[in-house]
Amino acid sequence: MAGRSKKKGTSGAAKNYITRTRAVKKLQISLPDFRRLCIFKGIYPREPRNKKKVSKGSTAATTFYYTKDIQYLLHEPLLAKFRDHKSVAKKIGRALGRGEAGDAARLEKNLMPKVKLDHIIKERYPTFVDALRDLDDALSMLFLFANLPSSEHIPAKTIALCQRLTREFEHYVITSHALRKSFLSIKGIYYQATIQGQDILWLVPYRFVQRTGGDIDFRIMGTFVEFYTTLLGFVNYRLYTSVGLVYPPKFNAKSDEQGGELAAFQLEGKANATNGTNDPMEDVEINPEAQAIADRLAAMPDAEEDDEVPNVTAAAMGDDDEEEATEGIDTFEPTAPDADVLPQPQASSAQIASLFAPFTFYLSRETPRTSLEFILKAFGCKRVGWDGILGDGAFTTNESDPAITHQIIDRPPLANGAPAPDVPENENGGAAAPRVQWPHSTMPGRTYVQPQWVWDCINQSKLMRPDLYAPGAELPPHLSPWVNAKKGEYDPNLPLEAQQPEGEAEAFEDDGDDDEEATFDVDGDEDMDAIIDREGSVEVGEGMDVADSDSEDDSDDSESEVAAEEFDGFESDAESDISEGEAGRIQHQRELEAEATGKKVEVVKPTRKEQNAAVRKKADKKRRQEEEERERQKMMLSNKKRKLLKRIEYGENKRDVESETLRRKRAKLEKAKAAAEAL
Amino acid sequence: MPVNTRKRKVVTRPVPESSDSEGELADGLLEGILSHSEDESEDSQEEDVETDASSVIEGLSDEDEEDEEDTFESDEKRIREQIRNLNTSDGADGDLDEQDEDLKPNYTVTTDARGNVRYLYKEIDPVYESDDSDAEATNTIGNIPLTYYDEYPHIGYDINGKKIMRPAKGEALDALLDSIDIPKGWTGLTDPQTGKPLNLSEEELDVLKRLTRNEVVEDGYDPYPEMVAYFSGRQEIMPLSAAPEPKRRFVPSKHEAKRVMKIVKAIREGRIKPYKAPTEEEEEEQVYFDVWADEKPRPEHSMHIPAPKLPPPGYEASYHPPPEYLPDKAEEQAWLEQDAEDREKEFLPKNFDALRKVPGYETFVKERFERSLDLYLAPRVRRNRLNIDPESLLPKLPDPEELKPFPTTCAAIYRGQEGRVRCVSVDPQGIFVASGGDDGFVRIWELLTGRQVWNARLSDEEAVDTVQWRPTKDASILAAATGESIYLIVPFTLLSPDVEQASREVLDAGWGYAASKPPTSANSEAPKLPPGKWSRPGTRLENKGVLVLIEVRSAVKVINWHRRGDYFASVSPRGQSTAVAIHTVSKHLTQLPFRRLKGIAQTAQFHPSKAIFFVATRNTIRSYDLAKQELVKILQPGAKWISSIDVHPGGDNIIVGTYDKRLLWHDLDLSNKPYKTLRFHKEAIRAVKFHQGGLPLFADASDDGSLQIFHGKVVGDLMENATIVPLKVLRGHKVKSRLGAMDLDWHAREPWCVSAGADGTVRLWC
Repeated sequence: MAGRSKKKGTSGAAKNYITRTRAVKKLQISLPDFRRLCIFKGIYPREPRNKKKVSKGSTAATTFYYTKDIQYLLHEPLLAKFRDHKSVAKKIGRALGRGEAGDAARLEKNLMPKVKLDHIIKERYPTFVDALRDLDDALSMLFLFANLPSSEHIPAKTIALCQRLTREFEHYVITSHALRKSFLSIKGIYYQATIQGQDILWLVPYRFVQRTGGDIDFRIMGTFVEFYTTLLGFVNYRLYTSVGLVYPPKFNAKSDEQGGELAAFQLEGKANATNGTNDPMEDVEINPEAQAIADRLAAMPDAEEDDEVPNVTAAAMGDDDEEEATEGIDTFEPTAPDADVLPQPQASSAQIASLFAPFTFYLSRETPRTSLEFILKAFGCKRVGWDGILGDGAFTTNESDPAITHQIIDRPPLANGAPAPDVPENENGGAAAPRVQWPHSTMPGRTYVQPQWVWDCINQSKLMRPDLYAPGAELPPHLSPWVNAKKGEYDPNLPLEAQQPEGEAEAFEDDGDDDEEATFDVDGDEDMDAIIDREGSVEVGEGMDVADSDSEDDSDDSESEVAAEEFDGFESDAESDISEGEAGRIQHQRELEAEATGKKVEVVKPTRKEQNAAVRKKADKKRRQEEEERERQKMMLSNKKRKLLKRIEYGENKRDVESETLRRKRAKLEKAKAAAEAL
Repeated sequence: MPVNTRKRKVVTRPVPESSDSEGELADGLLEGILSHSEDESEDSQEEDVETDASSVIEGLSDEDEEDEEDTFESDEKRIREQIRNLNTSDGADGDLDEQDEDLKPNYTVTTDARGNVRYLYKEIDPVYESDDSDAEATNTIGNIPLTYYDEYPHIGYDINGKKIMRPAKGEALDALLDSIDIPKGWTGLTDPQTGKPLNLSEEELDVLKRLTRNEVVEDGYDPYPEMVAYFSGRQEIMPLSAAPEPKRRFVPSKHEAKRVMKIVKAIREGRIKPYKAPTEEEEEEQVYFDVWADEKPRPEHSMHIPAPKLPPPGYEASYHPPPEYLPDKAEEQAWLEQDAEDREKEFLPKNFDALRKVPGYETFVKERFERSLDLYLAPRVRRNRLNIDPESLLPKLPDPEELKPFPTTCAAIYRGQEGRVRCVSVDPQGIFVASGGDDGFVRIWELLTGRQVWNARLSDEEAVDTVQWRPTKDASILAAATGESIYLIVPFTLLSPDVEQASREVLDAGWGYAASKPPTSANSEAPKLPPGKWSRPGTRLENKGVLVLIEVRSAVKVINWHRRGDYFASVSPRGQSTAVAIHTVSKHLTQLPFRRLKGIAQTAQFHPSKAIFFVATRNTIRSYDLAKQELVKILQPGAKWISSIDVHPGGDNIIVGTYDKRLLWHDLDLSNKPYKTLRFHKEAIRAVKFHQGGLPLFADASDDGSLQIFHGKVVGDLMENATIVPLKVLRGHKVKSRLGAMDLDWHAREPWCVSAGADGTVRLWC
């Protein structure tokens, strides 16, 4: 007996997916609450493989969730919180309706349930590495919110929290030298840190007022921020404790008010935590002159550097140093030239920690202090000073401090070489130190560079030539450190000749010379003419219907143009030989004519253009041969594989076209440059 | 009973009247059957009437109920009396008549005292139906519309032929009823307790009215009386109680003092703060701890799809990119004109020569917002990335250089044919090419030079459909077919004398045989027409070298020689049973191997080494063992219409060309389905041919004017399949009226092939 016939839609995909409406109904919450819940729990819609099976034949656009996800949500403690919240909101609404503001306030204060997301963090990220893996979006979002002004949608408290958390994170990155790369894009500054083997990439906007108009729903963003702040808090805690620091670090509100930013936090080692003596207030109240003297003293011997580390515990650093000595990676050099080269980690943390370590930087007031301070410190620089206008926490605010080795400048030098304004006398009466102030005067021995130098240095993990980045110099292009050019892709680092396929250079050159000449078409026609000529020559003996053959040739011509795109087998050498032979024949004919008339044969020297044409033609031919070979291979493919190949080739072709445009542009630019130089 | 009739008369409209009478009749019948009290039936009838005649006022209808009760009050009686008086038909007469009627059936006629006829009735037999006494006086006009009586004062006749006068009209009745006033307190209701009509007094009605209006029922009731303050602060002259004020009313409370002191003490000790400043919104801060203290890796759920990370920025996102990444004017314009959704990149690369000049990114917040929307709103689907090297998909083909030689170019064009060239054949020596076409000529060309060396017109109107050289080198014989005739030609002008001699001998051998044989054949199949008639074609053609003419029954399209040259097969698709014929040259004999062939034969061919014969019909290819005379195999290429086949010189492989643009390679050892299907032509394939001289080549000719040359290597090893490699497309033939290349043939030894085109040319490719 056959089993009972199964009813449609009772198992499989139809049961595995659930529409949003049904999910909301099942959970008995409102849509905004559902949205919040989904954001917190990281639940996202799915695209079923077969939509028709899921939606019982209807093809209307619907959002589907995985049914099990929704089932898990049924037991979520947050659901109860949401319901409580709803009932309290009702009560408050009633109180407000009666005009009992006090009652409403009391209700809000006492009864409003507080949403805690701790358990969700643990649930979504069972291990710490999982959390790190998902930190990209969290950091980008929080850095954005840290830079937003408070508004009715975004309470100031949230912004303060975002600022605190992001700065704490930056402190960790500085301490652990986890920063690897950074990139100045037109969107903002990208940073990439590697923490516990996870690459974390985040984007920080430039410090401008963000445009928040339009259709941006800050409730959604707010929900994300709520989750991300919790996440980053826990991550920070774990990161701090993992390097032996106390979390949360001490926060100096006063310094923060004065624009201390990073300096407003004071990290403490676990051992120091109880002592808590090092009050950052001291730094602020130091007499500038005394500070200057102290700085000078401090800067003179390099060996005393470590003393300058005010906040980071010596113990932690000591550990790091030891590790570097013993556990650093050795570079493997292949002994024989034919061996494979294995990829090795590029920059060890030791290298990173020491890139800027010997230098003292001074940031001019037009430079982006926050990002520079962060990067410089993350790459080992202990002493970063800046103009007092940029905020609290500088190593020095005195530009003429002799300890400064590098000054970062983003202003062009004065064109007319204006003299320095009169140095205002100190209160002490004597000009104790020479006052230098860019651009009026420079300090001898100090390196003046533009900010891009810092970024290029860290991306190359070596110090770049500062003269390329001198103030007012035309900067070399700033390249993204994340692009690895694949085969056939354009790479701006390499010279153009190295990446051009054969014959392209000549084609570009001709393009520049003469745009009307459609090079490829002309080529094809020539070939066809050659073939036709040859046919004519074959027929000479017969001579039956010449007129007819002429007309045939014409039609042949037109037809072959149509068919030019189609597969033509592979070109045999014979044809081109013949066409070359044709040229030779013409040449010979000319010689004979010249001989007959008694003139001297003029040797036609190939012009440059002709040479180009020849080279190009050769390259063209080769390319066409390759193409034909490929077509021939394609003929033997099965239909399925052919389609697959088509799909793959689509992307490849697009990439090829892109890189070809880039090469063309570059060739043009280089040519223009050469022309300008020649002039 | 009389009351009822009276009541009926109340009804004023004529139509109810008629229904009334009907009801009456029905009643009468019922009466006979069921001894029901008439009142009830009468009642129901009445109600019907009343619903119909809505003009009757309610008061009256209520009245009816009452007279059922038979509780007439004096007023009531009076009204009834008056109504009764209105009745036009006098009851007494009617009654009398009725009685007379009753006696009718059994009577004796006598004359009474007045001189009238008198009926003397017999005694009534009191059976059940006999009593007719209560039958009523009815109108006897029968079932005709009452309107017929409209202009008469009467409405019909009773059973005695007396006129029934028209009852009083409604107006009169209304006037009467208006003059009657309803008794006081009459409600028309029945007191359920007593069963008597319920009369209410004026007061009672008033109470009811008030109740319905939500008024106070009682007269003079004040719902809001003036309050009398019995207990007030006012000192009465006479106190309620004369007790003196107690002492405790004058002495401060010790208990209270105690409690106050307690508070004072608490304040002094600081346990209670007299003023607590409103605390600021001290929210319990999020307490961070090590959530991952006891972390346990959890295997990822198989359905979990992590959100894809945003890709890192490329060179073009730089604030100072290499100049080639900057868009030129046209690109910029195109980008600006595109819709924001269609743009491939969300920003235009821009160059700033210093970091200080970089502005804020306008859509930063928007992009972040969209990213968060994507995170929670975008359906996620796992897509398999095609991480396949396209090169690995392409089959490794041998280098064409290794596969040489094969024809690549057009080496010669043979012109001179008028109309299409339908067939072409290269002679086994490889010196001449024979062709035939629409002009009816068979022409022979020199292969290398393209010179026409011989021609003969075989037919004036019909085209030469096929030419085929005999495949032996000792003699040079060409078979050609036009229409229903097959010619065997020895172009002796081109041949050396000994070859000519040999050729002539081959053909002439049969004459003798045919001359000696006929009696036997005539004996056995006298009535039957021979399938082929061998004869001499006439002197004109014989002078040219056309020596034998074979006439068959239907037009021959294909001729294929046996490898030894003694037999050839001809195929004429039209002739059903004579479609395939095998001709024996040495005996001048034509045989029909198949009495009945399934399908329409397209072509036939001998196996190159065995005694096997292949016949291709439209859809299938059958191979027959000629020695055993049995079917060996049926191949099913899956084609709709086979155009031509060719057998590999090894004999184990067949290529099939079809009109549905396919070229199929059959390996006879493998299966009856094609081993490879090649579809490279845009139009039908007309001819396919293997190279017979030992080169692994085959070619096809198609209507798209091209020939395709393939390398097809067959290895002797059974374990290894044939390798097929496309080599070359030879274009040259022009397509005329959707026909391109019609036929092709290979040179016997060289890698050259000859093709015939619809454009009137034959081309040599080498």
